[in-house]
Amino acid sequence: MPQDANQVKDHFELFRGEEYTDMLAKKKAEFENPHPAEEVAKVREWAKTEEYKDLNFSREALTINPAKACQPLGAVFAAVGFESTLPFVHGSQGCVAYYRSHFSRHFKEPTSCVSSSMTEDAAVFGGLNNMVDGLANAYNMYKPKMIAVSTTCMAEVIGDDLNAYIKTAKEKESLPQEFDVPFAHTPAFVGSHITGYDNAMKGILEHFWDGKANTVDKMVREPNGKINFLGGFDGYAVGNLREVKRIFDMMKIEYTILGDQSDVWDTPTDGEFRMYDGGTTLEDAANALHAKATISMQQYCTEKTLPFIANHGQETAAFNHPIGVEATDSFIMEVARLAGVEIPDELAKERGRLVDAIADSNAHIHGKKFAIYGDPDLAYGLAKFVMELGGEPVVVLATNGGKAWAAKMQELFDSSPFGANCKAYPGKDLWHMRSLLFTEKPDFLIGNTYGKYLERDTGVPLIRIGFPIFDRHHKHRYPVWGYQGGLNVLVTILDRIFEHMDATTNVPSKTDYSYDIIR
Amino acid sequence: MTTLNQTIQDVFNEPGCGKNQAKSEKERKKGCTKQLQPGGAAGGCAFDGAKIALQPITDVAHLVHGPIACEGNSWDNRGAKSSGSSLYRTGFTTDMTENDIVFGGEKHLFKAIREIVEKYAPPAVFVYQTCVPAMIGDDIDAVCKAAAAKFGTPCIPIQSPGFVGPKNLGNKLAGEAMLKHVIGTEEPEHTTPYDINIIGEYNLAGELWQVKPLLDELGIRILSCISGDAKYKEVAWSHRAKAAMMVCSKAMINVARKMEERYDIPFFEGSFYGIGDMSDSLREIARLLIERGADPELMDRTQAVIAREEARAWAAIEPYRERLTGKKVLLVTGGVKSWSVVAALQEAGMEIAGTSIKKSTKEDKEKIKKLMGDDAHMFDDLTPREMYRKLKTAEADIMLSGGRSQFVALKATMPWMDINQERHAAFAGYHGMVEMVKEIDRTLSNPVWQEVRRPAPWERAGAASWMDRAIDEDSLPATATGPTDQGREAA
Repeated sequence: MPQDANQVKDHFELFRGEEYTDMLAKKKAEFENPHPAEEVAKVREWAKTEEYKDLNFSREALTINPAKACQPLGAVFAAVGFESTLPFVHGSQGCVAYYRSHFSRHFKEPTSCVSSSMTEDAAVFGGLNNMVDGLANAYNMYKPKMIAVSTTCMAEVIGDDLNAYIKTAKEKESLPQEFDVPFAHTPAFVGSHITGYDNAMKGILEHFWDGKANTVDKMVREPNGKINFLGGFDGYAVGNLREVKRIFDMMKIEYTILGDQSDVWDTPTDGEFRMYDGGTTLEDAANALHAKATISMQQYCTEKTLPFIANHGQETAAFNHPIGVEATDSFIMEVARLAGVEIPDELAKERGRLVDAIADSNAHIHGKKFAIYGDPDLAYGLAKFVMELGGEPVVVLATNGGKAWAAKMQELFDSSPFGANCKAYPGKDLWHMRSLLFTEKPDFLIGNTYGKYLERDTGVPLIRIGFPIFDRHHKHRYPVWGYQGGLNVLVTILDRIFEHMDATTNVPSKTDYSYDIIR
Repeated sequence: MTTLNQTIQDVFNEPGCGKNQAKSEKERKKGCTKQLQPGGAAGGCAFDGAKIALQPITDVAHLVHGPIACEGNSWDNRGAKSSGSSLYRTGFTTDMTENDIVFGGEKHLFKAIREIVEKYAPPAVFVYQTCVPAMIGDDIDAVCKAAAAKFGTPCIPIQSPGFVGPKNLGNKLAGEAMLKHVIGTEEPEHTTPYDINIIGEYNLAGELWQVKPLLDELGIRILSCISGDAKYKEVAWSHRAKAAMMVCSKAMINVARKMEERYDIPFFEGSFYGIGDMSDSLREIARLLIERGADPELMDRTQAVIAREEARAWAAIEPYRERLTGKKVLLVTGGVKSWSVVAALQEAGMEIAGTSIKKSTKEDKEKIKKLMGDDAHMFDDLTPREMYRKLKTAEADIMLSGGRSQFVALKATMPWMDINQERHAAFAGYHGMVEMVKEIDRTLSNPVWQEVRRPAPWERAGAASWMDRAIDEDSLPATATGPTDQGREAA
């Protein structure tokens, strides 16, 4: 019997049993009419060649294993960072289910988000009724302070006008006239989740600053000394934002985090369900207009938001997911300059500690080759840090990166001998990466959870940094920004290098002469 | 006088050591290492010395008789590689507790030996004496004797309680135990005129393996290596070798000299570090073997191999010479490495800013002078502060030392590379030299060194950093001496 009622086996064990292995072997032999094993092996080898790579790169229509997600995902990300805000996605409800599970699998927390659940009739006649009913239900059932509306492709294809719909909904008393409903059009067929973040963030700020869709007067900026902070779409939001707040507090800066997801995606288990927790207060979001300056940690996540803010008279500064000593230096110094504060000794000490840790371990990373993929800013930040460690990036790929990003990457590579052999690959997918791993032969791959298939197929060990990380828990709690964050990234990289070293030296009496206690 | 004291006195009287012989008899009895300065940071003890000297014998169960401290801290802490058994990496200890100390630990030890023999059936059990059982009077010699008789497995007492002296003495005590109980107790299946012993080589990072292929090619058999990648039996039949090479001068000189006395095995002191030294060593091995009856054509073949390997190594180093020429190195190591590495580095075009001679013999020092000239910067005791000053004031570009000095270099924002026992790159032989040059180049070019020397970019230019202040403090009249860092590096 393959299963025993007294001791039911799970999938790890069950299918390894004789009954199943026999059955599957038989099925293959008798019914599958498979290609001969040698042929399969031959093709597998062929797929590792330059020839295959060239064919792979001449792909025109098909995307295989894309390393990007859609705009509304980013819009939801931005929305949950505001106080008691319910993200409302106008369109089909299946999409929304995806965003919720996507975030929940990464952050290991519930993600509240609703949909206007458009169906066939709405697709034909427009989604107005869904918007009217949806806003009314969401408002009454979930008692939010704000509903941030974004859209799925379905609504975008038929051209639903969010501004008009929301106005109509309010006229039909779905919600009070003065209730805040910022909106952003976020079609998935344009850009990626980072574009969606950008649009939604801009939509929210526009709502508060520019007269709430012409229902009130535009706010007038009365400059103060505060600093606004935009994290961008960031899988490490929980750890990063808390770290940034710690640093800002240490520097005695007055600041507003625009979109603070750190509490809603890290609620305590104490008997109370918090549908909303923490986040930027609506008051702060509005008053952020008066700030002296706004800092964006991710240039490519705020390509519209930042100019929008600049147009309102603020100074702005953008970074590319700064990781490591030099990148954090630039960030800290810019913050200090903008806020007009001194950098505290404690921060200088943290810097020294990170430098010290890098020096302690430099021999193990120096000269190792890395392939990196991720969102454009993260890929940039990681590549820069790897080079700072003496590692050599050889491939940096961003499915949602464009030509400007590639040019910026190239500038980075040209700035150091450690980038000499590296190339940026904008708009490429993970199947391209697969070819590159075979032909460029990096020692390690840095990427998100989906990199595990690449690791399995190519044997290049995966260092999990990015979004989403589904198959390892709680990484999002540890910052990658600040000197402390740099230390975390350093340790993550080192851990994998040492694990790999151990895994390749652990055969008793064969390779274990190098299976050392002291590394 | 107890046996242990006799052994120690015997070790203190070392005819093979010029320094020792130059002393008066009274001085000699005090031993050859300086008294440790109470209150100063100290290096390893005799137990540690004995353990690291013998731990590379791979198929033996190394049983530490003492409280957990001794084995707990020394378990598998050196990168000596094994081509076979990994039993030497298993931590065996009697883990003595209060009751043992009140009632004596001999029975406990006996039982521990029995359990090892029953579970692991090793060719031998090495029993290390430590401070506590030595103080309460546990007679490990007697226990070993009884256990060996009862279980039919050689049980070798290593008399090495930590309090008798420093690490280097422990190395020698380990050697004495081998001479007394192991060497000469087995016979090899066959012997050849090309059998040699290599004494004082520990196969760290697999260095012996970088040399062995050349010896294999020449038809020279390593009958026994004491103790790198050795098996018990190989050590036991090492007395049948025709000649010996002694690698680490101070650590095992007693073994080499006594084997020459007892078994007529001539030895020379050589090094596998550096291209010239490697060639000299091969030539010496050939010369000694020919003296002892090997076919003189061995020398021709040796010369041919040397010529080929040297050419290869030079060619491989050439690309680095340009980048390394003029780079100044501070060497903080000891013994044979104080000169053998010097030659190697000079070969790569580097300058030696200074070398430590803490554990070097008179001959070692002579060799340094020969290599570096009479004005060679030799220093005996380099305090961390002094080390720091040298690095900080850019008298050196890189420091090569053991792992425990690394932090001084790092805090002084100076590149550092490990050349002692905990390293993972093998630097012996011709390939090893190329590897070392490559590693130095790699270390020097790591971007972190620019980073460590750069103050935080927001610091005002010209402001005295804490580093400047530290050096200023150092130039003040010395009222209190800084902590000394004695006997840090391994033998």
